[in-house]
Amino acid sequence: MIEKRFASKVLNTLLETGASFSEIFIQKMSASSLKLEDSSIENCSSGYDLGCGLRIWNGDSTYYAYVDSIKESRILDAARVLGGAVKSTGQLKVADLIENKSAYRLSIKKYPHLISADNKKEILLSVDKTARDFSPHIVQVTASISDLEEEIFIANSLGECSGEKVVKTLLSVNVVALRKKEIRTGHKTLAETRGFEALEAGRAEKLAKEASHIAVVMLDAINAPVGLIPVVIGPAFGGVIFHEACGHGLEADSVLKDASVFKGKLGKKVASESVTAIDDSSIPHHWGSFKYDGEGFTSGSTVLIKDGILVNFINDLKSSIKMKKPRTGNGRRQSYRDSPMPRMTNTYIANGKDDPSSIIRSVNRGIYAKEFAGGQVEPATGDFVFGISEGYLIEKGEIGQPIKGATLIGNGPDILKKIEAVGNDLDFAPGFCGKGGQSVTNEVGQPTIKVSKITVGGTGKKL
Amino acid sequence: MEYKNKNKAGGHGSKNKHLLDICKKAALMMPKGRIDQFELFAASHTGSEIEVFNGKVDTLSSSDSAGLGVRVFKDKAMGYAYTAVLEDAVIEDTIEKSIANSSVSKRDQFNYLPEPGDFRFSLPEMGEGDLFDSRFMEYKISSKIGMALRLEELTRKMDPRIKGVRYSIYEDGISDTVILNSNGLCEGCISSVAVIYVSAISKDSKDTSTGDYFDYGRGPAGLDVETVASEAARRSVELLGGKKIKSQVLDIVLEPLIAAQLLGVLAPALCADAVIKGKSLFKDMQGQKVFPSFIDVFDHGTMPGGLYSRPFDGEGAYRGKTTVFGKGILKTFLHNTYTARRSGTSSTGNASRASYRSVPEVGPSNFYIGPGSDDMESIFKGIDKGFYVTDIIGLHSGTNPISGQMSVGARGRLIEKGSLSYPVREVTIATDILTFAASILKTGKDVKFMPGGGFFGSPALLVGGISVSGK
Repeated sequence: MIEKRFASKVLNTLLETGASFSEIFIQKMSASSLKLEDSSIENCSSGYDLGCGLRIWNGDSTYYAYVDSIKESRILDAARVLGGAVKSTGQLKVADLIENKSAYRLSIKKYPHLISADNKKEILLSVDKTARDFSPHIVQVTASISDLEEEIFIANSLGECSGEKVVKTLLSVNVVALRKKEIRTGHKTLAETRGFEALEAGRAEKLAKEASHIAVVMLDAINAPVGLIPVVIGPAFGGVIFHEACGHGLEADSVLKDASVFKGKLGKKVASESVTAIDDSSIPHHWGSFKYDGEGFTSGSTVLIKDGILVNFINDLKSSIKMKKPRTGNGRRQSYRDSPMPRMTNTYIANGKDDPSSIIRSVNRGIYAKEFAGGQVEPATGDFVFGISEGYLIEKGEIGQPIKGATLIGNGPDILKKIEAVGNDLDFAPGFCGKGGQSVTNEVGQPTIKVSKITVGGTGKKL
Repeated sequence: MEYKNKNKAGGHGSKNKHLLDICKKAALMMPKGRIDQFELFAASHTGSEIEVFNGKVDTLSSSDSAGLGVRVFKDKAMGYAYTAVLEDAVIEDTIEKSIANSSVSKRDQFNYLPEPGDFRFSLPEMGEGDLFDSRFMEYKISSKIGMALRLEELTRKMDPRIKGVRYSIYEDGISDTVILNSNGLCEGCISSVAVIYVSAISKDSKDTSTGDYFDYGRGPAGLDVETVASEAARRSVELLGGKKIKSQVLDIVLEPLIAAQLLGVLAPALCADAVIKGKSLFKDMQGQKVFPSFIDVFDHGTMPGGLYSRPFDGEGAYRGKTTVFGKGILKTFLHNTYTARRSGTSSTGNASRASYRSVPEVGPSNFYIGPGSDDMESIFKGIDKGFYVTDIIGLHSGTNPISGQMSVGARGRLIEKGSLSYPVREVTIATDILTFAASILKTGKDVKFMPGGGFFGSPALLVGGISVSGK
């Protein structure tokens, strides 16, 4: 999108008044979305963004600015204004830009811009029909397809540069089930860094059935019990608890700000021995994967917790320098309008040895939490709350009646120590993670796990 | 056609004129024969965000962006496209995309541009000063940095147990909006906002706690750094050593800002689009009693001092004050012109538009429960055992505006014999929204507001017989 020579010129302009680091980030995005509701296409929208983000450091301070353009004159003007914020005596200069080399390779078969809007409409109509055919109780289906093709170029005053083309496809399905006065909802998302082949082979319809299943099953739900009880958390989206209640505390910026319970815990036991947790931005086609992070560093796998011992934090360039640790390729940003920070990618608890069905059998009275509506965490303490959207009672080792209105409340680091069993059925679920006003693509993941005790909040009886 | 701004809250600044010029230019590019109607929505935002840490600037970001959204109607089908690049060739391409997008969308007899007969309210009396602080420009970036630094320093000094500040942030912005359509509608406005917020971390020998607070205004002048610092510190320290209580049914008191957040989660269920699609717990409930008779709920799109006040909404309809619940009875849902036509009513001026990237939907503006008559003392008096909720987490994931179920995490203080007792943490409160609404026993005198997808306000609420689960 821009010449390397021009990138060097901008980097040097940014350094002129003494900044200790400079960076240019160029991004072009073509997005499209199609939304179905009431069995017809309600809205079809396309968008185009093209711009340039500029970043410099002056000591510990970061200065950031952007322009909605990649015209050379506008970028240079913005670089002069931003550089002017620094009045120091440094004499840094960029020589040659050397391209970073990522080992991550992808093949995209069906680029979104080659798929007609009519074709996308067919997929959504099929999702709608599948959901409504699933049960007469399904009274509303909201489904949307969003796709994005983007091109990124990054260069910095360390002499690094990188470029990447990204394709993202997302299908989300929300259904409403109604029976007499009982009303329930079901939600599922499929999202990959892939073209429209992601939605082939009946995968869109499968998603519609899964969302419908949740809503219909939950029509029979009884009030959730209350109390401090054993909880088995299902695979895939169950990993959201680790993401929210532990993962954010492992992001190095919160550690550096003394706002993490994991500060000073490197090399120490933070979880039960059966827990190994990993952040891996290079799992092919996963939603949180990329060739280069938002600072141009190559993607890869970072073990965070190994057999219960904390071994790594999640770093961006700035935090890795401050912590004197290697970069982990986790500097991410929402777009050229945003300054990067340490963020998770695909973050998961690794497979253990236990068979999921034997985990359920080991619980006399407790609950099985399969899907969550999301949650919230107090990062400084790790206190969390998660709403269960699909959950069941476990009685005498068997999954029993579905429960409604259930919430899990606890403390992330505390729960890590109470994990008694880890299954061998690792799976992932895609989503978006918000932090500091920026939203980035993420996957959470885990096998089935058992926690000895978590507080369950509901309106039912004490279990 | 001549396009001229009618309202008095904008259209005079240079940015606004620039946006109007872009819209006029795009209007000339519209291929008239291939579409029936069009609407152009241009918006710009300039702002700065300053986060400080340990007495230094951590990050200073400045933003300056603008974009254009194009909405077209052809045979009662709608198409949309937007661009952040405002060059002629790109605008032309965006227009073409919006037309192509209309070809796959549903045809719907109610799908056409707003017309004056759709509006419930007439041109509001708002001047430029209502939305824009003219002193904004007098503030240099260095004094904004100074404000964030002082907020951090003051917060740290408030109490010896404050061991850190998780963030201390100053953020501001000026937004310009112009909307113009082929029916001759043309409105523009300019607004400014400045916010400060801080999160204080306190520690004692056993426990860690956080407390957040904020202030906002049309400009940096008048932001109350001292109060924000002391409130954040107080909220943090006050909950140190919180205990999990036994699961039980208690009367609970929600402090105003917590009740306001809860109202914010309810608001989408009162928007007509959710109701029409069967995605609201309030569907079929118009005319029914939901709250006790002493409660009124308003959406006031032109409220003086309201952060979400504007003379017109996201499709140019004028705004005003709507009684959503009157004496506890659900009077009306919130409408844009499309949902109003479908429901046989007029637009309440609630077409919401997050940015030029999105089509007008329906959303609340300044949305609040009216004040009651009790001060805090008389609310607490008479509670033998209760729970004063001062922090709530997992509100969005724990509340389902379709089914009405609600189960959220809470922190606060126990109430014993009418006065505040020890701090409580890691418990959940669970109910369903209709039971909760009907169980309100008292409302406080002071309404407090907070922004987030609307500007939500409430007095303190005393609610009887809520299930609290702990250990």
